[in-house]
Amino acid sequence: MEAGSATARPRVGWRLWAVVPVLLLAIAVGAVVSSGSSLAELIGTNPPPADEFDIRRVEFEPGEIRILVRNPQQDDLTIANVNVDDAIVPYTVDGPTTLGRLRSSTIEVPFDWVDGDPITVGVTSSTGIETVEEVPAAIATPTPSVEGFFGYALIGVLVGVLPVALGLLWLPALRQASAAWLSAFMAFTAGLLTFLGVEALSESFELQAALPAGLGGSGLVLLGVALSFLGMTALASRLSGGAGATGFALALLVAIGIGVHNLGEGLAIGASFAIGELQLGTFLIVGFMIHNVTEGLGIAAAIAKTRVTLLALAGLALVAGAPTILGAWIGGYASSDVLAALFFGIAAGAAFQVVVEVGRYVVRQAPGGLRSGYAIGGFLAGIAAMYLTGILAG
Amino acid sequence: MSKLSRRKLLAAAAPLAAVPLVGKLAFDGQAEAGGHDHSSHSHPRTPASHVPGAEGHAAMIGAEVPAVGEEHDLDALLYPPPALPYGRGRLRNYELTAVDKDIEIAPGITFPAWTYNGTVPGPVIRATEGDRLRVKLANGGSHPHTIHFHGIHPANMDGVFEVVETGGSFTYEFEARPAGFHLYHCHATPLKKHIHKGLYGAFIIDPKEPRPPAKELVMVMNGYDTDADGGNNFYTVNGRSFFYAKYPIKVRRSQLVRIYLANLTEFDLVNSFHLHGDFFRYQPTGTGDNWEYTDTVMQCQGQRGVIEIQFANTGRFMFHAHQSEFAELGWMGFFEVDE
Repeated sequence: MEAGSATARPRVGWRLWAVVPVLLLAIAVGAVVSSGSSLAELIGTNPPPADEFDIRRVEFEPGEIRILVRNPQQDDLTIANVNVDDAIVPYTVDGPTTLGRLRSSTIEVPFDWVDGDPITVGVTSSTGIETVEEVPAAIATPTPSVEGFFGYALIGVLVGVLPVALGLLWLPALRQASAAWLSAFMAFTAGLLTFLGVEALSESFELQAALPAGLGGSGLVLLGVALSFLGMTALASRLSGGAGATGFALALLVAIGIGVHNLGEGLAIGASFAIGELQLGTFLIVGFMIHNVTEGLGIAAAIAKTRVTLLALAGLALVAGAPTILGAWIGGYASSDVLAALFFGIAAGAAFQVVVEVGRYVVRQAPGGLRSGYAIGGFLAGIAAMYLTGILAG
Repeated sequence: MSKLSRRKLLAAAAPLAAVPLVGKLAFDGQAEAGGHDHSSHSHPRTPASHVPGAEGHAAMIGAEVPAVGEEHDLDALLYPPPALPYGRGRLRNYELTAVDKDIEIAPGITFPAWTYNGTVPGPVIRATEGDRLRVKLANGGSHPHTIHFHGIHPANMDGVFEVVETGGSFTYEFEARPAGFHLYHCHATPLKKHIHKGLYGAFIIDPKEPRPPAKELVMVMNGYDTDADGGNNFYTVNGRSFFYAKYPIKVRRSQLVRIYLANLTEFDLVNSFHLHGDFFRYQPTGTGDNWEYTDTVMQCQGQRGVIEIQFANTGRFMFHAHQSEFAELGWMGFFEVDE
C-alpha cells in the first residue's frame, strides 16, 4: 500500500505538470485573440488581405465547366463573380459562397466550351480581386468508365509491369556473373534507387511549394520521407530477422521501393493526362518502358545467387510494376494536391531506405566493399542509366 | 495535383536517335502513330462540349441577369433634368460634394469609389447656352480633388490649378458655352487614378434654339478596375454592369429618342455603342451640323456625342459596346420598344 501510493503520486504529478504549459498557452492565445488587431496598430497598419482564391482544379463536362476553388487566406473570401475567357457568366456554387480559411467550393458554369482550345477562368471576390487560371487546352475530364478504367490499367501494365518483368529476365545472365560484377550490379541498383528517390523528393518539394502556405510546407515532405523510411526499416528488419537483408528479402525490399515510386509515376501520368497537360503519345509510353526496364535489372541483381520460383519472380514484378496501374487510376480520377505532395515524400523515403539496405549488402558481399571500383562504377552507372533513359520518358 | 513538367516533355524526343535500339522502337512507334497528329489531337470535336441551351448568354436576359439594385435606381442618371429655354445671363447653381463611397457595381462586388454626390457617374449638370453656371465643389473625400469642365471658360475656372483639399471648397463660375454635350471630371493628380475611381459626369449645354422635343437619355460609358492591375474588370453604362439588360429602357416607337452618349472609360483607348435592329443619327460632341447615319459609333476616352433615333419596329432591341469583351463584362442592355 505504502509503496504503491508512493510510486503513483509522483507519476500523477508528472502528468499534471505536463498540462500546465498547455493551459498557460491556451490563456495566452485567448488573450492575443481577444485583443484583435490592436497589436498591429501599435506598430502600423495591417495590409489588406490578398483576396485571391486558390483554383485547384478546372473540369470540363459537356456544356459545363466546374471550377474547384479554395480560400488560402486567414480572412473569409466570397465568390461574387465568375468569368470565362474574359466574359461574365452565370454560375451556381455547390457549397458555401463565402469560404472560411482553407474551405473549398465547386463553381458550376453552364458553358459551351470549344474542345481543344485554351481557356481562362476567373473567379472574382467581393472586393473585386480576380484570380485567373489558364487552362492550356479544354478537354472533357474523364469520368470513371469501364473503358477508361481499362485504358489506365493498360497504360500501367505497359509502363510498369511489363518493363519490370522484362528486366527480371536478366536473371539467367546475372547468375553467371562473378561476385565482383554482381556487386557492381547491386551498386547499380543502389544508384538507380538514389536517382528515383531524389526525383521523388524534388517532385514532392515542387508540389508542396504550389500549395497554399497554410497547407504546404517542407514539413509535409519530411513527414512522408520519415514515415516510409522508418516503416521500410521496420519491414526490412522483420523480413531479414534482424540481420542485413539478402536474397529474396532484399529483392522484395527493392521491389517495394521501386513499386512505391512507380505508383507516383502512374499518378503523374494519369493526372497530367486528365487535366489536358500531357499528350499521351507513343514516345512517352516507349520512353517509360525503356526507363523502367532497368528497374527489373535492379531487382534481379538481388536474387542472382538465390533460388526463387517463377511465381515468386512474377510476384516481384507485380509488387514493383502493378502500383503504376493504381497510380494511373488515382491520378486520372481523383488526385489531391496535398496527398500527392505527401505521397512523393513517401516514395522518396522508401527509395532511400532501400538504398541503405542495398548498400549494407554491397559492404558485406562485394570484394573490396563500397570502395571497390565495381561498386563505385556500378552506382554511377545506375544513376547515369536512369538519367539517360529518363530523358526518353519525359 | 501532380504534373509532368514541360521541360521533361520537350526533351522526350532528343536522345532517340542516339540509341539504336531505341531508335528502332521509336520508328515503329511513329509508324503506328501515322495519323497521330490528327487522331490524338482531335477528340470528338463538337459533340463533347456542345449542349443546346448551355450558352453563357442565355441567362443574360431578364431576371437571371446579374445586375445590382431595383429598376428605378439609376433614373436620376439616365433621365437628365429638363432643358430650360434660353434666358441670357440666367444663374444656374449646382453643388457637388466629393465623397469616398463603396458602391456595388455588380452583384456582391463593391468598388471603393471616389464620387461626386455619391454616384458613379456623378449627377448630370445641365445648362442652356448663355446661362451663368455656378458650381460649388465641396471636398468631403480623403484626397484633394477638382472639377474640370469641358467647354469654353477662363483659365482660372479650369479645375486644374484650383485644387480643393479635404474639407475645403471652391466655386466655379463661367458662362455655359458652346452648346453641345460635354463632360466634367476631376483633374487632380494622379489623373488616371482620380478619373477611374469615379469622379466624372455628363455636362449638357442646350443650344439657344432648342432641340426638337424628345425622350432624353444620358449614357455614360465606364469601366472599373476592381483589382488595380491597370485593366478593367467590369464595364457599364451609368455605373452598374448589365443594369439595362435586367431593366430594359422603355421607349415608344413613335417618339424621338435622344441619347447623350459619353465615354469615360479609363485604361481602354476606345469604347463604342452599337444598336441592334435600327439606325440612328449621330452628332459628334453634340455640336455643328455634321450628323452621321449609322448603327455603331466609336468614342475615344473623353469623346461624346448626341444620338437621335425613332425606332422603326417594336420589340426588344439590344445595345452594347461592339467590343465583345466589354459587352460580356457588363456593357450590354436592351430597349423595350412599345407601340
